[in-house]
Amino acid sequence: MIEMTHNFYVLAAVFVPFAASLLILLSPKRWAEVWSWVAAILTLICVAMLPGTVLGGGAQPGWHLLSLVPGLALELRVDALGLTFGCLAAGLWVITTLYSGGYARADHMQNRPRYFASFAAAIGTAMGVAFSGNLLTFLLFYELLTVVTWPLVAHKETPEAIAGGRRYLVYTLLGGLALTVAVVWTWVLTGQLDFQPGGFLQGQPVVTSMVLFGLFMFGGGVKAAIMPAHAWLPAAMVAPTPVSALLHAVAVVKAGVFCCLRVLGFVFGPESLSHFSGTNIVLVFCATTIVAGSILALRQDHLKSRLAYSTVVHLSYIVLGAALMTPLATTGAILHMVNHGLTKITLFFCAGAIYGTTHLDRISQMRGLGRRMPWTFGMFAVASLSLTGIPGLCGFVSKLYLARGAIEAEAYVYLAVMIGASVLTAAYLLPVVWTGFFGKPEPGGEADKKGEASLAMVLPLIITAFLTLVFGMFPGAIGSQLALAREVAQQVFGGMP
Amino acid sequence: MNSILPALLFLVPFVAALLCVFVGRLSRGLVWWWTILTMAITAGLAVLGGIAVHSEGPIRVHMGGWAPPLGIEWALDFWGVLGVCMVAVVSLFTLAGTRESVRLELPGREISFYTCALLLVSGLMGMVLTADLFNLFVHMEITALSAYALVAAGGRGSARVAFNYLIMGSVGATLYLLGVGFLYSATGSLNMVDVGLRLAAGDQTLVMFGLSLIAVGLGVKMGLFPLHGWMPGAYSRTSTSSAALMTPIVTKVAAFVLIRILIHVFGLNVLPGVGTMLVILCWAGAAAMIFGGLLALVQSDFRRLLVYSSISQVGLVAIGVGLGNFDGVAGGLLHLVNDALMKGVLFLAAGLALVRFGVARVDDLGRLRGRAPWTAAAIAIAGLSLVGVPPLCGFFGKWYVLAGALDGRRWGLASAIVAGSVITAIYVFRFLEQLFFRAPSSQEERFEGPGLLVVACLALALGVIFFGLGSGHMVEWFIAPQLGLE
Repeated sequence: MIEMTHNFYVLAAVFVPFAASLLILLSPKRWAEVWSWVAAILTLICVAMLPGTVLGGGAQPGWHLLSLVPGLALELRVDALGLTFGCLAAGLWVITTLYSGGYARADHMQNRPRYFASFAAAIGTAMGVAFSGNLLTFLLFYELLTVVTWPLVAHKETPEAIAGGRRYLVYTLLGGLALTVAVVWTWVLTGQLDFQPGGFLQGQPVVTSMVLFGLFMFGGGVKAAIMPAHAWLPAAMVAPTPVSALLHAVAVVKAGVFCCLRVLGFVFGPESLSHFSGTNIVLVFCATTIVAGSILALRQDHLKSRLAYSTVVHLSYIVLGAALMTPLATTGAILHMVNHGLTKITLFFCAGAIYGTTHLDRISQMRGLGRRMPWTFGMFAVASLSLTGIPGLCGFVSKLYLARGAIEAEAYVYLAVMIGASVLTAAYLLPVVWTGFFGKPEPGGEADKKGEASLAMVLPLIITAFLTLVFGMFPGAIGSQLALAREVAQQVFGGMP
Repeated sequence: MNSILPALLFLVPFVAALLCVFVGRLSRGLVWWWTILTMAITAGLAVLGGIAVHSEGPIRVHMGGWAPPLGIEWALDFWGVLGVCMVAVVSLFTLAGTRESVRLELPGREISFYTCALLLVSGLMGMVLTADLFNLFVHMEITALSAYALVAAGGRGSARVAFNYLIMGSVGATLYLLGVGFLYSATGSLNMVDVGLRLAAGDQTLVMFGLSLIAVGLGVKMGLFPLHGWMPGAYSRTSTSSAALMTPIVTKVAAFVLIRILIHVFGLNVLPGVGTMLVILCWAGAAAMIFGGLLALVQSDFRRLLVYSSISQVGLVAIGVGLGNFDGVAGGLLHLVNDALMKGVLFLAAGLALVRFGVARVDDLGRLRGRAPWTAAAIAIAGLSLVGVPPLCGFFGKWYVLAGALDGRRWGLASAIVAGSVITAIYVFRFLEQLFFRAPSSQEERFEGPGLLVVACLALALGVIFFGLGSGHMVEWFIAPQLGLE
């Protein structure tokens, strides 16, 4: 039973951030943060109202806005997969707003209205991506996401930042163009674009399917930073840390992953994918990315670059799981989308707290810093362990599902890749913790000074680290994310995992 | 009232142009008000016409009561609504916005400027409205003559480019007239519908020769690659006010006429030989899209960049029409209006940059940074629409044309559209980057203005957004009903 109010929540969740963005640009500078707060909390409330309706009953609250092309509307519709992504983006926006404020003060950030406005708009587009009911609406928000995050990447306006912004645009616009072609082509071939569990693109010739699948996966894969289209992500790390945290670990890259999930489960579907070897190619690309990305991550001394490569690895992890096309692997992929988001945002928050307080960004300079900033490094340790897959933390839950999915698909090579990548994750993240706590500090360096990062930066990272623990212990607890993921798998494959 | 609307749409600006001189005698300051009043009435009539056509179907007028095929017929049909609304609304805003720049750039010549401007608008209206091939030529000449004068009224070097434009434009018009002559000798008629009916019976050599001449003639007028030679000079050397008025609409109306003749007179694919013509048109469009884009890429002058961008966008229109299927033609028509809106914004903004800040080069656009935020916002909207970011209108033009290419399994053309889009993105982000990130963040005072120019710019930018969101209805209401031929 869908009530009118639920439809309204869906609409508000998408448009409140956009409204906030406009208000920030039009009001005096000091209002920027206030509007961000108001919008973030409102959005979270709206999203929080939805799981009860979407779960179980199969109801899909939504909004039919206007006809963009005859027979094709701007349509919002919330299903379990979209809601998972929506909850992630909305929930982390609130925490990031708190963090952004602290970071902006510590870093003496310029052009704050532009920063907060772009940030709000980026969340709005991410919500739109999550809640879009058909491919055209999806494409619309997906492209807008590229545009509104560009000012965030190039925010510092140094030559390096502008070059990073350029590279970001080149990659993501090419991806967007591929997606546009794919969507138009799908429209021409089938005359419909509504997402359907199990897919709607059946019965096309193999060559057409292959090319279309390639275009779709390129469109999603660029934002999901699957090699060889990953180079924008490390370059985009010149952005202020909250941007890297929310947008380049959660919103933008997860939009790419989400695109892959949608295409695999709701456009093509298991049935039509079994007729050609598209998923195998995706699996190979993802496995290569996981291995190569892990090795590259090991070699980075710049903390944010190391985290960026770690992101590259774990995104491929998710897409790999989705491309295995079994119920358990899909459940695991969706869980990992959320859990990696929580974990990675904690890691970035830590990196930002370190940089904002001490202006150090190289791991080799951080010897002994953990004694000065115990909370920051402590939470970094928790998140590292979670991403490695230590039981009790959320990374373990999703990795367990992914591994079971690989066994279910009898893909033991990929199982080995996953396990190997977990070991490598430990190998590139734990040394940071080790250096921080047990490294011998340089005399007179930053480590000898006193003072943890400001509360506005430490509190968010404690919250997210705590959440990794909660989701690790009780995967079904908040927002019923496990139930949502299982429901997606059930919709796509028909039958309980 | 409705029955004489097509005539009024032409007569209002035409008569106002003639009276402009007398109004100017009374007071020079009054001319602008007179022009804006006229354009507001014209735009209002165009919108009324749109409503009437939407509810009751096309309105046809027989001049002097003579029934076609003998008499001259004027018709406000579904596509005509798009055409007249585009001309009236865009020129209303560009004329309103350029008040200050006309004063600065053409001091003492306001009366002649506005007279020519109104004549130009009336000529364009006539081109859209007439259903008679020869009458079309007459309006083309009215348009062209006022356009030559408007180009020549610019600063240094504008007389030379105007002469160049005059030669090329006259060649185009002559070829068109010659083509009409061939068609007349083959069919004995000048009314578009009537000619269409008689074509099959006429001498096919004459018909095809006539079609080729008409297409080349109109190709010159619409600046279709490689017949675009007159365009960059004429539109970038003239005054910014003339450029803002003309660039968005003049070539678009020529393209509109070409579409109408190809589809209403020749009825796509009915005759052997039309297919070849369409293929040529497609590939000329593809070349325009790519080479126009590449040339835009290397320009250092902002207005020249925009002119080449216009050439490139008209290429997309040509591809759409050349595809000859529903999506292609719909996309072509839609994109005509899209580009008129986008170029309206961009040329107004370019005028503001030059007149107010003395900025002509793309690399200096950063000087507007922080000093003209509203203008920058309008440029950003129009630029992103050019790139094809949904839901701005430029996206939908591309959507339909691309759908047409994929539907017709024309992979080469689809690739050309994709390549053209990539190039467009590069040159657009080149100037957006300058505008938003490059310059040292100056603490200078806001220096925006003149107010009218900014408001006009923003109004057209809003048009870019709303026409994008409403494009589904535009296609449904005003494009599809007349594409039933498919």
